[in-house]
Amino acid sequence: MTPPAPRVPVHPSTPRAFAAMLRDTWREFLDARVLYLLLLAIVALFAVALTGRIEALPGGKQYLELAARAMAADLSGFDLANQPLTDVAGRLEGAVYQATGAEPEGADLPGSPWRLTLTRTFVPLVVPPAGDAEIAERFGRIADGELWRVTAIEETGSDWARRVGSQTWRLEVAPGRDLKMLWMHSFTLLGGTLPMTGERGAPLGLEVLILQKLLATGIGGTILLLVCVAVTAAFVPNMVRKGTLELLLVRPIQRWQLLVFKYIGALLLVAGLLGLLVGAVWAITWILAGIRSAGILLALPSLLVFFALLLAVSVLAGVITRSVTSALLVTVAYWAVLFIAGQLHNQVVESRIREESVGKPRPMRFADTLRGRAPEPQAAPRPGRTPLHRTTLGRVTAAVYAVLPHTEDLDNLVDRQLMRDYAVSGPFRALMESDDFSWQSGVGLSLLHTVAYLGLACAIFSRRDP
Amino acid sequence: MVVSVKRLEKRYGPTLALGGVSLEVEPGTLFGLLGQNGAGKTTLVKILLGLVAPTAGEAALLGRPVGTSSARREVGYLPEDHRLPEYHTSASLLDLYGALQGIPRRQRRRRAAELLDLLGLGGRERLRIRGYSKGMKQRLGLAQALLHAPTVLFLDEPTDGVDPVGRKEIRDLLLEERRRGVTVFVNSHLLGEVEQLCDRVAILRKGQIVVAGTVADLTAAKASWLVGFDRAPPAGLDTAGLRLEATDEPGILRLHVDGAAAEADASAALDRFLAAAGAAGLRLRHLRRERASLEERYLEIAGGGPAA
Repeated sequence: MTPPAPRVPVHPSTPRAFAAMLRDTWREFLDARVLYLLLLAIVALFAVALTGRIEALPGGKQYLELAARAMAADLSGFDLANQPLTDVAGRLEGAVYQATGAEPEGADLPGSPWRLTLTRTFVPLVVPPAGDAEIAERFGRIADGELWRVTAIEETGSDWARRVGSQTWRLEVAPGRDLKMLWMHSFTLLGGTLPMTGERGAPLGLEVLILQKLLATGIGGTILLLVCVAVTAAFVPNMVRKGTLELLLVRPIQRWQLLVFKYIGALLLVAGLLGLLVGAVWAITWILAGIRSAGILLALPSLLVFFALLLAVSVLAGVITRSVTSALLVTVAYWAVLFIAGQLHNQVVESRIREESVGKPRPMRFADTLRGRAPEPQAAPRPGRTPLHRTTLGRVTAAVYAVLPHTEDLDNLVDRQLMRDYAVSGPFRALMESDDFSWQSGVGLSLLHTVAYLGLACAIFSRRDP
Repeated sequence: MVVSVKRLEKRYGPTLALGGVSLEVEPGTLFGLLGQNGAGKTTLVKILLGLVAPTAGEAALLGRPVGTSSARREVGYLPEDHRLPEYHTSASLLDLYGALQGIPRRQRRRRAAELLDLLGLGGRERLRIRGYSKGMKQRLGLAQALLHAPTVLFLDEPTDGVDPVGRKEIRDLLLEERRRGVTVFVNSHLLGEVEQLCDRVAILRKGQIVVAGTVADLTAAKASWLVGFDRAPPAGLDTAGLRLEATDEPGILRLHVDGAAAEADASAALDRFLAAAGAAGLRLRHLRRERASLEERYLEIAGGGPAA
């Protein structure tokens, strides 16, 4: 047996060590068999979603009638989320509008243009007649929403009728930016055999929002993060176990670099998986509903910042305990604490908003309006019942949440964007639009905690004897 | 000196692992470190590798303070009970360690292939380590220690779990490394192997070196001769200070040099005894020098007996 020639150049370099640790991390990640099982679950979830059908229900007339009725008040610049309907009263201009004789060009679908007759009844001498340009500008626009765009307008009423307070136009309208999102659609799964909405359907925007929430930040995202937490919880304990650690520590590389490179490797891998998940959700929305809104892409940084935090906790627990089970339990417990604190904090914020809104009508909801329900005024709390934000639990929650990473903010901010993208209102809109949540505090505090946990792990790891 | 240690002390809480160890090892030496479990062997090696900080004393490796990056570049290490990451193949593991060591990609791939062939793992580069036998893992552990052609090798039980043929191959490999000027530091409980391999040994007991020297010195310290005469020696024969031990054959005696007698004194005593025997009419038929085995000396010293 003749030993090989011992001429081996040795030039330690940080980029080379970094690349090596990335490859090592990815190999360890892909070695976990549970990963494939749970990824299969996500693929199955997406496969079921792809069997879905989203179909528009006939209903163009009601949107034309809504557009006509809404012209009674000047709603330009009206904040649908935060201004109560009582504020609309001050904007009434002394005229009412009615849409009649509406006929689509083609099928009664959200993409079809329509012809209709618009009648304006007003108080003569008090309210001036309206011009074509004004009607064309205002028809179909409700606050910041655009239901219809007028493509042709011709006043057809007589001069006599105009003098007694009645104007009539023949309009040709095309679908506006938000019409499709508000249009009622049916949603079925498994090739139409499993209905997910009632007979009247639901606004497309709401359906898409629920679908995206479910797949990206709901079940799909939670399963993926849970798998990633479970797999990566083994990384550091495996690395620092006796007999393995020594083989790494004898190399000409700083100890903290070993830990940080491993951390970054895991984070990049999970970023890739989350990118695939969010990209797939975006693609499914496009395939099923023809919607290519970019708002859901915000779920990627939101989930990644959250995972970066969990991974830092896992690394710290792994360095301290050197046990896979302990690292996993500590991380999942930390996740649970953040979830519970976040949900409680949402309740506290909502409780405060409710108290501030007592007696005022709740924010306008398109969906409710279309269903013919009137917004109900905010009820006062029941006598003897203290609002949550004034209780000890509420105060403790607010104090605890102030020092914890604001990961719930990140989820709320994604929801806020989706609600805006898909013209969805509903009971949570006021909460989501609250000033209590911001990307700065959500991302900033989470990253601050992440760096602190990782720094502490590096300090312990660098000083402890193997 | 490759290794230079002065009054090295290490405490783990109230436990004294090393109590003032001083040691020097010259380049190109195959050095054996012996001692019972808990004697401080692994602690001493870990301090030399910079893995553990000493409580007191000085330690230098290749003339540099231990633990520095430059010292680590020239050191190969095989720990006892090592656990290689099982999600790797032998090729990917050597690639990882080689990259961390700072070997460029092309060279580390070539060197890894050479070493795997040399250690009998050629053709299994793509097999996950979890499918390896203990002997295969041990060979791979040795390959990673040799990967960057280190100047100093620290090997803890290098032949553990390896079959006899493999052990012989590893011994030959270490001897070849020494011939090339590599200093090899071996911790082993296989005393026969250490006796065959090592030039110098040190025995640690309770954190202190109780004896250090060449293997020849250590075993000679408990020497004896087997002497054959044509008949049984008469009573009252001058033994010149040697202790006579009768054997089953009347004319054959074993002469013991007890204690720490110098080699020259022992030879002079033997000369005097043979002269006295000749004067008594005894005819010498054969004479053979006997040495104590390293195991005997080890058991005597490490087990708590007197140090030589």
